[in-house]
Amino acid sequence: MNPLLSVENLRISFPSRRGPVEVVRGVSFHLGRERLGIVGESGSGKSQTGRAILGLTPPSGRATADRLEFDGIDLRKASTAQWRQLRGARMSMVMQDPKYSLNPVMTIGKQLMEAVRIHGGKADARAKSLAMLEAVQIRDPERVMHAYPHELSGGMGQRAMIAMMLVTEPDLLIADEPTSALDVTVQIEVLRILDRLVSERGMGLIFISHDLELVSTFCDRVLVMYAGRVVEEIDAARLSEAEHPYTRGLLGCLPKIVGDQRPLPVLARDARWLE
Amino acid sequence: MALIEIENLEVVFGGGGRIVHALRGVSLSVEEGESFGLVGESGSGKSTVLRATCGLAPVTAGRILIDGIPVTTPRDPSFYRRVQMVFQDPYASLHPRHTIDRVLSEPLAIHGFDRREARVERALIDVGLGTGFRFRYPHQLSGGQRQRVAIARALILEPKVILLDEPTSALDASIQAEVLNLLDRLRAEHGLTYVLVSHDLAVVAHMCERLMVMQGGQVVEQLSREALQAHATTKDYTRNLLTASEGFTRAPAPQSRP
Repeated sequence: MNPLLSVENLRISFPSRRGPVEVVRGVSFHLGRERLGIVGESGSGKSQTGRAILGLTPPSGRATADRLEFDGIDLRKASTAQWRQLRGARMSMVMQDPKYSLNPVMTIGKQLMEAVRIHGGKADARAKSLAMLEAVQIRDPERVMHAYPHELSGGMGQRAMIAMMLVTEPDLLIADEPTSALDVTVQIEVLRILDRLVSERGMGLIFISHDLELVSTFCDRVLVMYAGRVVEEIDAARLSEAEHPYTRGLLGCLPKIVGDQRPLPVLARDARWLE
Repeated sequence: MALIEIENLEVVFGGGGRIVHALRGVSLSVEEGESFGLVGESGSGKSTVLRATCGLAPVTAGRILIDGIPVTTPRDPSFYRRVQMVFQDPYASLHPRHTIDRVLSEPLAIHGFDRREARVERALIDVGLGTGFRFRYPHQLSGGQRQRVAIARALILEPKVILLDEPTSALDASIQAEVLNLLDRLRAEHGLTYVLVSHDLAVVAHMCERLMVMQGGQVVEQLSREALQAHATTKDYTRNLLTASEGFTRAPAPQSRP
């Protein structure tokens, strides 16, 4: 079976006063209908990788790849019209912060129904939107439909955004830190929703996060990024056997509920990891 | 006698039709030299306890005592000599157009400290930055470095108590470890008392000997670190938090299919 998404040698650079800076330096991976985690610290290029797949690299940046293929479509040569058909309908993205990603002057209902209408399904837009809000465990969907983003808590806003991204039933969802702004218990609920979509509908999921432990319990496979490169690819269940010193260092420096190691081991960065 | 004593604290925000009861009778006491943790989800009121203590939220009812003496409203300068606070977001809590030197000198000037220059340098060395950072601006610093400056600012008045409101939740895991180690070392060196708020049970378990779980403005329970580690809790809410913080579990998905 062909993979849903193939990325080979993805490079993204941004201009600076001292010439172009490469923030993603040759990332390659394939995604099937599975949960793939991308883990790394801020500045490791994990978010830019996710954006480039959707063609959302900022105008000042330049993304190149030897191969960037989604379900047989070469994304590098996609026209604007093709992108319009893909984004939202077949591949979509959940951003980290609902505060900045929802339209502040439109009610949630209006935004949700807009997504449904644009991608077919004009007649039952309202019913579909309500059902989707219920599916993401919003208890009072009627109220949320009429609410503006600022009237919702972070967790509710994030669930509303996930509903918006999923209402078109995409084949690929890129979730960029979708639960970092949420409480742990809400976080688990949101992950269960995503989990069900992968296992029941065969959606492909790229889960970008800085939280190694969360990723290791949620995803099937993990890419660990450091300074724009994938330094290690490993089955999530075997993360504790990771070999790269960066992965091991990241795992080691997390405080644990059980066990009392002090001082906490800190990560000693090695210039060789950059190569 | 406990260093910090909070009795039946109530905080109500707003007025007219929109009243928010943020704290509904919270009591706690923290001994000198202790590190006490407050855990809970957003909206549980954990940060409000800290903010009410240092005068950033109104005390509607109840009492706050430091060293057995009730605090005044507004708090007097001697209160801030003893109690200082570190905020969550190091990007928002430092003035963008003040140099680090000015950030650190201001509290010294307000409280009339002598030898200001030496104290600023000492504070920077204490938090592991070094004097080379003195004349830089916040935008030239990374998140971890800024949080170190915020800690230096709290420390520079030689307080007894530091209130820490999610001090590492805006930082990467590797930087979080460095800042937690720094806080640990400073507490030992300066004999400080911490009240630490965090949504991360692991951080609280690592940093605090005792902790309090909060929900909806009320106390769920108080636990020792050992009890938390042994999962020796009587409350479902705490148990749920513990389970949730151990990562994702597929088992009890809310679905039933024939």
